[in-house]
Amino acid sequence: MTGPVARKFDPIAMEVFSNRLLSITEDMGNNLIRSSFSTNIKERRDCSVGLFDALGRLVCQATHIPLHLGSLQGSVTAVLARYSADTIHEGDAFICNDPYLANGTHLPDITIVTPVFHAGRLAFFTANVGHHSDVGGSVPGSIDGGARSIFSEGIRIPVIRIVRAGELDEDLLNLIVQNTREPEERLLDLKVQIATNERGAAAVLELVEQMGFAAVQAAIEDILDYTARRLRNRIRELAPGSYSYTGYLDDDGSGVADPVPIRVSVHVEGEDLHFDFAGSGPQAKGAVNLTFSALEAVVYYAVKALLDPGLMPNNGMFAPIKVTAPSGTIVNADPGGAVGARASSCQRVAGAIFGAFHDLLPEHKRYAQHNNACPALTFSGPRGDRPGRYVYLETLGGGAGASLEQDGMHAIHVHITNTQNLPAEALEIEYSLLVEEYGIVRDSGGSGRRRGGLGIGRQIRATRDGTIFSVRSEGHVVPADGLAGGGPGGTAKLWKNPGRPGTKLLHSKAAFIELAAGDAIRLETPGGGGYGPPAERPAEALARDLRDDLISREKAERDYGSQKVTEAERILEARSGA
Amino acid sequence: MYRIGVDVGGTFTDFTVFGEAEGRVWFFKVPSTPHDPSEAIQLGVRQIIDALALDPKSITHLGHGTTVATNMIIERRGVPTGLLTTKGFRDALEVARQVRPNLYDYGQRKPEPLVDRFNRLEVNERIGARGEVVDPLDRVQLDGAVATLRRNGVQSVAICFMHSYRNPAHEAVAKEAVQRLMPDAFVSVSSEVLPEFREYERMSTTVLNAYVGPRMRTYLDQFLARMRDLGIAAEPYTIHSNGGLLSARTVAAFPVRTCLSGPAAGVVGAAVIGAAVGARDLVTFDVGGTSTDVSLIKDGRPLFTSNRTVAEYPVKSPMIDIHVIGAGGGSIGWLDDAGALKVGPRSAGAVPGPAAYDRGGTEATLTDANIVMRRLNPEALLRGRMPISYARAHAVIEDRIARPLGISVEAAAHGMVRIANANMSRAIRSVSTERGHDLSKFALFAFGGAGALHGAEVARECGIGSMIVPQEPGTMCARGVLLSPLSFDYVRSEIMPAGEEAWRRVCEIFRDMWAEGSAWLDGERVPAERRAFRLFLDARYLGQNHEVVVPMPAVSADGLDDFLARFRQAHEQEYGYAIAGRTVEIVNCRLQAIGDVPQAPLKPPAGGGTLEAALIDRRDVYFGGVDGFLRTPIYDRDTLPQDATLSGPAIIEEMSSTLLVLPGQMAALDTAGNIHVRKHS
Repeated sequence: MTGPVARKFDPIAMEVFSNRLLSITEDMGNNLIRSSFSTNIKERRDCSVGLFDALGRLVCQATHIPLHLGSLQGSVTAVLARYSADTIHEGDAFICNDPYLANGTHLPDITIVTPVFHAGRLAFFTANVGHHSDVGGSVPGSIDGGARSIFSEGIRIPVIRIVRAGELDEDLLNLIVQNTREPEERLLDLKVQIATNERGAAAVLELVEQMGFAAVQAAIEDILDYTARRLRNRIRELAPGSYSYTGYLDDDGSGVADPVPIRVSVHVEGEDLHFDFAGSGPQAKGAVNLTFSALEAVVYYAVKALLDPGLMPNNGMFAPIKVTAPSGTIVNADPGGAVGARASSCQRVAGAIFGAFHDLLPEHKRYAQHNNACPALTFSGPRGDRPGRYVYLETLGGGAGASLEQDGMHAIHVHITNTQNLPAEALEIEYSLLVEEYGIVRDSGGSGRRRGGLGIGRQIRATRDGTIFSVRSEGHVVPADGLAGGGPGGTAKLWKNPGRPGTKLLHSKAAFIELAAGDAIRLETPGGGGYGPPAERPAEALARDLRDDLISREKAERDYGSQKVTEAERILEARSGA
Repeated sequence: MYRIGVDVGGTFTDFTVFGEAEGRVWFFKVPSTPHDPSEAIQLGVRQIIDALALDPKSITHLGHGTTVATNMIIERRGVPTGLLTTKGFRDALEVARQVRPNLYDYGQRKPEPLVDRFNRLEVNERIGARGEVVDPLDRVQLDGAVATLRRNGVQSVAICFMHSYRNPAHEAVAKEAVQRLMPDAFVSVSSEVLPEFREYERMSTTVLNAYVGPRMRTYLDQFLARMRDLGIAAEPYTIHSNGGLLSARTVAAFPVRTCLSGPAAGVVGAAVIGAAVGARDLVTFDVGGTSTDVSLIKDGRPLFTSNRTVAEYPVKSPMIDIHVIGAGGGSIGWLDDAGALKVGPRSAGAVPGPAAYDRGGTEATLTDANIVMRRLNPEALLRGRMPISYARAHAVIEDRIARPLGISVEAAAHGMVRIANANMSRAIRSVSTERGHDLSKFALFAFGGAGALHGAEVARECGIGSMIVPQEPGTMCARGVLLSPLSFDYVRSEIMPAGEEAWRRVCEIFRDMWAEGSAWLDGERVPAERRAFRLFLDARYLGQNHEVVVPMPAVSADGLDDFLARFRQAHEQEYGYAIAGRTVEIVNCRLQAIGDVPQAPLKPPAGGGTLEAALIDRRDVYFGGVDGFLRTPIYDRDTLPQDATLSGPAIIEEMSSTLLVLPGQMAALDTAGNIHVRKHS
């Protein structure tokens, strides 16, 4: 244990208290998910809740999306920067979403922050963030990969007092929701967000009532100290020094096809980690920029995943971590830059950090690069059974990287996202679309002693004329790197009408493609990188890959050599003869 | 006449016998026989016949809960299975919902599909969302696919085509092809197993059914033969995950419905026992050796879900909503390198078990902590049949927890129990708030070997006012089997905006399902006066992707408005609000056919003695830093007088369990033999 301990640390009280705190955030999370209307919050669980102390330090967070790690913290910090503690009153609540004015990460994520008073004094904050399915701007869903500035991405909300001494500012709320495409749903969800914080506040005050304020404060200090101590123990196990990695984004979203570098240098300095992003590419013209809050969130995610997946997300975890990045770059955009489609770049940042840790972690904890993409497809078209148009958006996973002991997982979301797919049957019931294929893509896993996971192939046919298709994809140019001699994963590919007359390969950021009834779109997402030299793949494992058609004979011969393929085929023949 | 309920667990097989003439219950336990679970059942039933001097013909009812199917899935011991599916969808099983199981830990993997890719074959056919044929079925290609499966040595075939819940015609053709070309294979057809939309979940359920089918049949044959050998004439039943009984013939066709059957019986039993004494809102709290099961009972009925998984594979048939927490008597206490004390999720299990069992356990378990505090009998458990080593329990807690933390052994043991209780309490709070319930209106119904030991403190931590402990809580699941009716669940998916036209269709669907359910009840030989049907509609607001279950007392031609009112009410309860004027969409029609099993009333236990006579011991029990050790009376539950009321601190021991009453609490027996614990008034 390090540092001066003024008061004796009570591990039992801390553990009991931490369960009580988690109950409060779980209850807030349950309430937000249960009561919200929009699919994004309710089904995809693209939301998070947190509890902060009076100083604005994160005490406890329930997160369903890693990108929210740290972005809630940003909002509370923004509230305290805008309003001094003595101007915050009991019964107030604040709203914000702006990446530049309120430390947000993109406009659809709207945060509500509510101060909690005990005995007339500001004691805590409760906060929650939800991804709203639309906040206005140039396109339905408010994420336009080609947007050139924040002003075309939707309504910007700086830190605003939306509830004043218990009185909801209906005018302000109305102004906000009328700037979106589905005001009724926004109104409903924002009110649920406000109520969720109030529920959390009541629960915290009940806990204070039970335990006494001083005991609660002491337990909070214990938890923050413990978390920082635990992370520092992990950092101390790392060899001091500097470690760098450069990953690439296919392009900057503006249609110019030059890969953009994302460079990270990790400095292990005693018990602290410093992440510096100097050397990363310039601010993008398209909407793939990160704000500093988004960058911090990705760093926190990566540290937790790489060093201690069970680490509690709180201020103690932030303490040993320092992040720097030159402004005006893709990882720290200057005010005004478009950020809506930051997900792809965030994935690449996470991949770069994972890469930099390759030389820091023991062999069994290293992974070849995951697919590091978050491709989003949007179809919009006339509804068959009722007037109006539908908008259907879906993000797809890909292959995971292989590791020392195991092949990579097929077809999963990685890093900052983990949202479920929409079942093909549900999609066809709802929209004038037909799923022709939903499977894994042969030959997309990186070859190696352990094979990378395979990407997803999704092929969708329009069943009505006038269907419009747009996409924001990634990994069409830059594949997932292999590790320790393993080969790269397959790149992503996008076609119109594959395997039929008029086949056309499309760009990864194709927009407003018009489809007639019978036209189909096919996206194949990237696979994961392989681990170790392919020559070392056991023939038995290659035999299974061939049997299951995960790899073609041609690729197998190319990557593993004809001798191994022959050996594998002999194994298969022996088995089918038996 | 006698009725026997059996629950096959990992370590013990439990029996509850109900004598209708005597109006009383007997409890038995024999060690389980995992290689053939029916062996332990035969052994136990024979013991019962001998012990109670029964004529096997007087056993009119025998039901059992079994983990045969579940274990087969967990241990991946099913048969080589094939899948026939629509062109383009053979990987639906592999992609699943495209999510990773843990956000941060890539060491946790998606489960491998139970059907290898080379045995997942696509058939050229396509049915659209409205049941229309988009591409006709290619019979030649279908036969070729079946021949390939046969050549590959597949013993069981799952068939799952797109939108077959809406139009099962193509699946029926495929089933016929499999039966023709692979006459010995088990066939599992998605439109029969689960005609509900969402292809991955339906496919997963259908595949699990196929995977466990053949071996489950073998097991049932053995089980039936053994019961016949014993001279039992009654047809034995199996409890399914929805807490109802099924005949062997139904289980043989739909074995997937028996996953998680034992715990479901415990919850059904809790609902019946609770309702009998007026406690209709309960949190069930079943603490075993490695895990704790928590569920909610509202208004006398267990809550159901169709979103459960077995070994991470989704099973969509309706099940009692039981949440499993990785904390039980065998949970291990440990210190991390930053100085925190944690309990679980690792468990010492049955082998080696707690250090105090002296079977080679060297880790500090929760049971060891309870022994060190002398909450559990420090000499022997199971009525003296299982000796305990207090010294070993003391030594592991001292070495592994107390000394490194610099605290006393009792404080360390108490810390472990407090932490385990805090973990369990958090799970209970989460289960209740997820469904929008207020725990202060519930009672805790504690059972399992250790439920009554932790229940009082857990109830206090969760703000639950009282605890109910049934007789022999360690065999509650076996008893629940006796309290369960026969039942079978039917579902049809048809997604349509709720209007007059849709309602006519709903009425038709229910008529069809009613006929199907009646035919099933005929087959089970349930007389008309014991039949009941429960109807439900799953519905949502247009634009939502998440349904609420709306219970319907009846579905009649003029019932649309009634349904809409009930939907709004259900939405309000489930999600906290309703939206006036927004279109409602009907998604699924559900029907549960029920055949009630006659249940003679339970007479109150005799227990005419005095409290003093039931007092078997006094020992110093540890109650934490403030109270320290308190001299605590130990009572024998079986001899407690019927009107007994006693004040804490107190401990009540019985064969399968130990009940702890805290200082400031009081315990009282009710007329049905349950013990109620609440704050001293």
